[in-house]
Amino acid sequence: MNIVLVERLGAIIAGIVVGVVAFYALYKDWQATGIENNVFKLMLFLLGIGAILALLAGLNVIGFAPPKGA
Amino acid sequence: MAVASLAHDAHGDADQLYIETRELRLQGFLLFLVSDCVLFSSFIFAYLYLRNSGQGWPPPGIHRLDVAFAAWNSVVLFGSGATMHYALENYKHGHWMRYMWFLLATIVLGAGFLGGQAYEYTHLIYGEHVTWSGSGIFGASFFTLTGMHGLHVFFGVCYLSVLVLQSAAGVYTRGKYFGITAGTLYWHFVDVIWVVLFSIFYLI
Repeated sequence: MNIVLVERLGAIIAGIVVGVVAFYALYKDWQATGIENNVFKLMLFLLGIGAILALLAGLNVIGFAPPKGA
Repeated sequence: MAVASLAHDAHGDADQLYIETRELRLQGFLLFLVSDCVLFSSFIFAYLYLRNSGQGWPPPGIHRLDVAFAAWNSVVLFGSGATMHYALENYKHGHWMRYMWFLLATIVLGAGFLGGQAYEYTHLIYGEHVTWSGSGIFGASFFTLTGMHGLHVFFGVCYLSVLVLQSAAGVYTRGKYFGITAGTLYWHFVDVIWVVLFSIFYLI
């Protein structure tokens, strides 16, 4: 199997898992108050965004991959 | 011993000094993260300015970075952010063993990310002949920013390893665990910085 395909599949599967986990944790902590919890909420949101970006990159929707053999 | 300490401290035995200083420690730690954010921002904006002031990007003779491996390596780091979050949550709820497993998983994933970055550096330096000093603004920006981030990840892995040892030694209790909270905040910060670096180097 092509190594690039393996990397993309890994990015897609792990991106979905991490994204779901991050947004679920954000949902669970939504009612929490205080500086600490609000910082955690912000960071979980950005973590979820990062997972979505990695997922889209894995799907070749964004980013750039050199053509095979380049 | 640590499990016993958790059970013993089920109602919280945080002493008065800890209660009084915890908020200050938290604010001090957040200020540290803000200062680190300013450090990264200055390098990131310098990179973006230089990138947009040149003629085309990347400079002639340098290929665009391959996104497939970077995406995989990124989700390894983002996954470590999720495990660290659940490590703290489990600690708060008194699930000591689960906390330790999540913490160890975070360390393994963090080390895995560093391994991936080392692999990418090797490929760039020996395969593409991109170096810090010999590839103009691109090489200097890429290796400075990702190297600085990698150093933060390395220090984070060291910090989390110390947390494992301290937790096993029973340093933290259910009422006193600011070290674990600070570790979680730091690790999330390192993740968030990588979201930005991943976007500017590989996606745009």
